[in-house]
Amino acid sequence: MVGGAHEAAVVDFDHVTKHYDAGAKTDGKGTPGAVNDLSMHIPAGKICCLVGPSGCGKTTSLKMVNRLIEPTSGKILLDGVDASTRELTELRRSIGYVIQQVGLFPHQTIGENVATVPRLMGWDKARQRERSEELLGLVGLDPAKYRDRFPSQLSGGERQRVGVARALAIDPPIMLMDEPFGAVDPIVRDRLQNEFLRLQETIAKTILFVTHDIDEAIKMGDLVAVFQTGGILAQFGAPLDILAAPASSFVARFVGQDRGLKRLSLLRVSDVDLRPAVMAAPGDPVADARQKAAIAHGQYLLIVDGDRRPLGWVSEHDLPADGVISEAMANPVSPTVNKRTTLKDALSMMLDADVQTGIVVDRTGATQGLLTIEAVARKMREGEHAPAFDDAAAIIAGEAADGEDGDEGERDPGEADLAAIELGS
Amino acid sequence: MPPGTQIFDPGWALDNLDQIGTRIGQHLILTIFPLLIGIGVALVLSIIAIRRPRTYSPITAISGLLYTIPSLAAFAVLRPIFGLSLVTAFIPLATYTLLILFRNFTAGFYNVPKDILEAAEGMGYTRRERLLRVELPLAVPLIISGIRLATVTTIGLATVVAVLGDSFGGLGQLITEGIQTFFPTKYLLGAILSVGLAVGADFLLVRFEHWVTPWAHAKSRAR
Repeated sequence: MVGGAHEAAVVDFDHVTKHYDAGAKTDGKGTPGAVNDLSMHIPAGKICCLVGPSGCGKTTSLKMVNRLIEPTSGKILLDGVDASTRELTELRRSIGYVIQQVGLFPHQTIGENVATVPRLMGWDKARQRERSEELLGLVGLDPAKYRDRFPSQLSGGERQRVGVARALAIDPPIMLMDEPFGAVDPIVRDRLQNEFLRLQETIAKTILFVTHDIDEAIKMGDLVAVFQTGGILAQFGAPLDILAAPASSFVARFVGQDRGLKRLSLLRVSDVDLRPAVMAAPGDPVADARQKAAIAHGQYLLIVDGDRRPLGWVSEHDLPADGVISEAMANPVSPTVNKRTTLKDALSMMLDADVQTGIVVDRTGATQGLLTIEAVARKMREGEHAPAFDDAAAIIAGEAADGEDGDEGERDPGEADLAAIELGS
Repeated sequence: MPPGTQIFDPGWALDNLDQIGTRIGQHLILTIFPLLIGIGVALVLSIIAIRRPRTYSPITAISGLLYTIPSLAAFAVLRPIFGLSLVTAFIPLATYTLLILFRNFTAGFYNVPKDILEAAEGMGYTRRERLLRVELPLAVPLIISGIRLATVTTIGLATVVAVLGDSFGGLGQLITEGIQTFFPTKYLLGAILSVGLAVGADFLLVRFEHWVTPWAHAKSRAR
């Protein structure tokens, strides 16, 4: 069992409370770091981001999982087993732990650092070494180059990666990450976040991830737990749901005025219904093209090459009376996007372009359909729910969720299939 | 000094290499054993002080007080008990190292960054493993700088042991005899060798520190 592949574990907080003795520094809102009757269920293999202002109890909640802090009352169940009944060092060794300052051991080489828990568990030297090289490769550090260096010889971003590799050493079913990317600059942080999300696709651990940055929480979390001062769980759910329907005015304020834009950064082109493009290739008779445009009520034709790669637009009015379509008629194309492009990026590209329609292409560059600003706006509206709290009316400019029926006619049945390849992939 | 005698007579030194060698050997014994005793006691005391911070002040106060006892007085007090023996020499010499060693050792342990301790605890180190594999190695640079100071101090102090007699007097013996017989070559040689020993020991300890803590000197290899 030692070091074998572990399945991800389910983590349950069951009415967990942590009180600190009064008389410390109270500010009238309860002691910083206290947690008040926290219950939440984190399914196996998901990233759950704990987010909130400082002193809201998010780090306390995290540290109660590996019992660096013991709860005052309540239970934390790992795969149904009460963490407090497990032997302390065994529990901790079975949980990956990454902290903001990384906490690499300066006196050990990178290879030795990564092999920390395997060494504690008594693996033989060869196996420790093999595992640490494998892990360095996994986090994108060349083992031959980094293995024998000391932490002081690495950049902040490299150290963070080593921290992640070290936490993964015995393939733990759970990882705790306490602001793991908090100490690096924004560009490096963004890269580390993306790398980590890619890594998670393969390792599929149950991860508790503490951050004070709502954008990071939304980006990283399958689930987001918003804490408010006093250790109260203000809302727990999928990031899109929290952005669409904040449960309280606190959550609405915390996620920010721009939560609509934040949702756009979570949605992808594949989430939106595409409009079919009216296409013609050089050499097609103008008359045919004109007829196609008329059927689709379109004013513009997209000229594409033999592989359906976009060449440019031509207005129906600019078409000659007869003859054939030629490449010279094409005006420069609009921005091209693909199914994985976020709506935020796509919208930004469309706003910058002359023709505010995005051409959606596949991997080969072949046209698949068109993305319009109207379609993006429609998608945004359908996610909004009725306000769940009193003063929400001011924040949500009330628009019902069903305003898309009028455009149904334009939708190509084939595009619905394409639009379906999303979240799961 | 009789007129006409040289201040320093290298010929005498060459003729008496045996005697000089013996004195150097004795001096090393007078340095190394008290140091080892001092290191052992200071290490235990500093671990106690780390675990129970309230003991830090009393331990510092007592070792500071012991440090102020004049060595000659200490020998005088211990002599009736242990006689003219090495034990009488070792006890004060070891005691004098405590203040320096204890302060440096505790500083070494206190300087281990909190995040590293937390990472170690979170990863499932037991207290003992953490002490031996994390705290102690990280405290080594300051531990060794304490040992360097204590070594140099002890080498100097050990010359006083000559008052306890000829059989183990070390380089102090050369100095005392040189003064008593008005023979500058002898006391100069004693003094020079004592200084040389201190400088040499310090150099060796610096090399040793570099050897055992490669990580503390690795920054220059960074890109």
